[in-house]
Amino acid sequence: MSRTRCLAVAATAAATWLATVSLATMSPALLRAQQPASPPAPPATPRAAALVDLTGNWVSLVTEEWRWRMTTPPRGDYISLPLSDEGRRVADTWTPALDGSCKAYGAGGVMWLPTRLRVSWEGDQALKVETDAGQQTRLLGFDAARPAGPRSLQGFSVAAWEPMGGAPVLRSGTRVAAPPPAGGTLKVVTTNLSEGWLRRNGAPYSERSTITEYWDRVAFPNGDDFLVVTILVRDPLYLLNEYTRSAHFKREPDASKWRPAPCRQS
Amino acid sequence: MPSTTATPSSHRRLRRFAVALVCAAATTVLAQAPAPAAPPPMVDLAGSWAMSNDEELLIRIDPGPELENYTGFPLNAAARQKALAWNSTIQAVPEHQARPHPAQYSMRGPGPNFHMGEVIDPKTRQLVAYTITGLFQNANRTIWLDGRPHPSVFAEHLWNGFSTGVWEKGTLKVTTTHMKQAFLQRNGIPSSPYGVMTEFFIRHGDRLLVISQVDDPIYLEEPMIRSSTFAWNPGQRENPIVQVEIADELPNLKPGDVPHYPLGFRQTDYADSHGLPWEATLGGAETLYPEYAEKLKALMPQRRAQ
Repeated sequence: MSRTRCLAVAATAAATWLATVSLATMSPALLRAQQPASPPAPPATPRAAALVDLTGNWVSLVTEEWRWRMTTPPRGDYISLPLSDEGRRVADTWTPALDGSCKAYGAGGVMWLPTRLRVSWEGDQALKVETDAGQQTRLLGFDAARPAGPRSLQGFSVAAWEPMGGAPVLRSGTRVAAPPPAGGTLKVVTTNLSEGWLRRNGAPYSERSTITEYWDRVAFPNGDDFLVVTILVRDPLYLLNEYTRSAHFKREPDASKWRPAPCRQS
Repeated sequence: MPSTTATPSSHRRLRRFAVALVCAAATTVLAQAPAPAAPPPMVDLAGSWAMSNDEELLIRIDPGPELENYTGFPLNAAARQKALAWNSTIQAVPEHQARPHPAQYSMRGPGPNFHMGEVIDPKTRQLVAYTITGLFQNANRTIWLDGRPHPSVFAEHLWNGFSTGVWEKGTLKVTTTHMKQAFLQRNGIPSSPYGVMTEFFIRHGDRLLVISQVDDPIYLEEPMIRSSTFAWNPGQRENPIVQVEIADELPNLKPGDVPHYPLGFRQTDYADSHGLPWEATLGGAETLYPEYAEKLKALMPQRRAQ
């Protein structure tokens, strides 16, 4: 066989093989293109799109600031709190007779108190967080456009899933193709608050506060499952700067230790 | 015959066509080849991080926690016995004067403001480790990410232990072994060399949450968890190493003496100064749970009666 004929045969074979492979890989797309367009899928609900399952029964483990959380500290014990002069003035109006007030169980304080949490879905658009200490209910709603309602201890919380991680960036500056996020955090921003306490001895946060929280879930090798809530409080009135703390809650198998204890309306 | 009638130009065209087809086929084959394994989702943790002391300021800043304040720790009886015998004078003996903070404690100590640096393989340019520098007395840590195993149980134990990390759901999970026998808190709460620490480094924008759990079968009734928040602080310079000149601070100490309280010694200063029942200040797993608040209320009248 001459060289030219050999090339011609090789070219024909390669063309046939390429066409076969191309058809094999492209045909599904081509076939789909031939079909009538289906209506776009509705966006997944926050519940369906959850990046982490936060539901369940959780108990706070008071391993930090034990004395300030398990007992009511005396008036004037504001260590660790960046109170402004005005915040301190308001705090100093507290008396032991006010101990047990629901003001300690607002969104700015309740997560730091010894409590159990019951987290469940309220429909597909909100997570409901109940506490047995103070018998409070927080609604972490994903619909930011819903009515905020009047000011309240638990305020108006807007929740959003935030994927964690991402594709690593190479030294060249390009990003490696990313797998879908394997995990995430729940970011919650709470406003429309009524005045509450950061500590049970009356250390206040004002109704002008904004509370940003990150809700994370981690599992330890010994089987312990924890919910950790990072809390950032910004209050232009009673705080000098942002106040940060993180509370951790251990997962419990059921609600058998749930002990509702009401707070006192002040 | 075609082979004899083909012109040189048609020959070249046919050859170019064949080469193009072969190249296209090769491209298709490569496109069909299995993609390299996708890297795990990761977050850039490198940079300088400043501690937020909004939790436990009084305990974390110098001079440190009060004696016999074991609140918040799931201590067992052995740990309690050892802690109650701890005398702060021990920090003045020459062997203890320049001790770094151990890994079990350093991330919760005064500060720390630290820098997380990257160790990059010079050939592959892959991240093989994070370093944490700026920890007290240079007990800086290295978190290996390259899959290396932990050393033998007989290997030397260090102030910073031996840490490896894996990416798990967008967080860095770090396991630390080979830590020295040291402390969980600077008032004598002990930690054994058999403890294992698991940490999660979780980045929320310009915040870094570090959750740590120490599982110590010798001194804890259940694993001890703490969580700390740091703020991204570019341009930060970490504290310099404290220059320590070992001095003879205890001239009356005889060779071999170890400052301590005798076994059974009852330290009550912390309970007394805060009006707390003594037994409530001794820690233990029971004291960490919300129901203990009720028990505490029951103990308080007795305390006030004293």
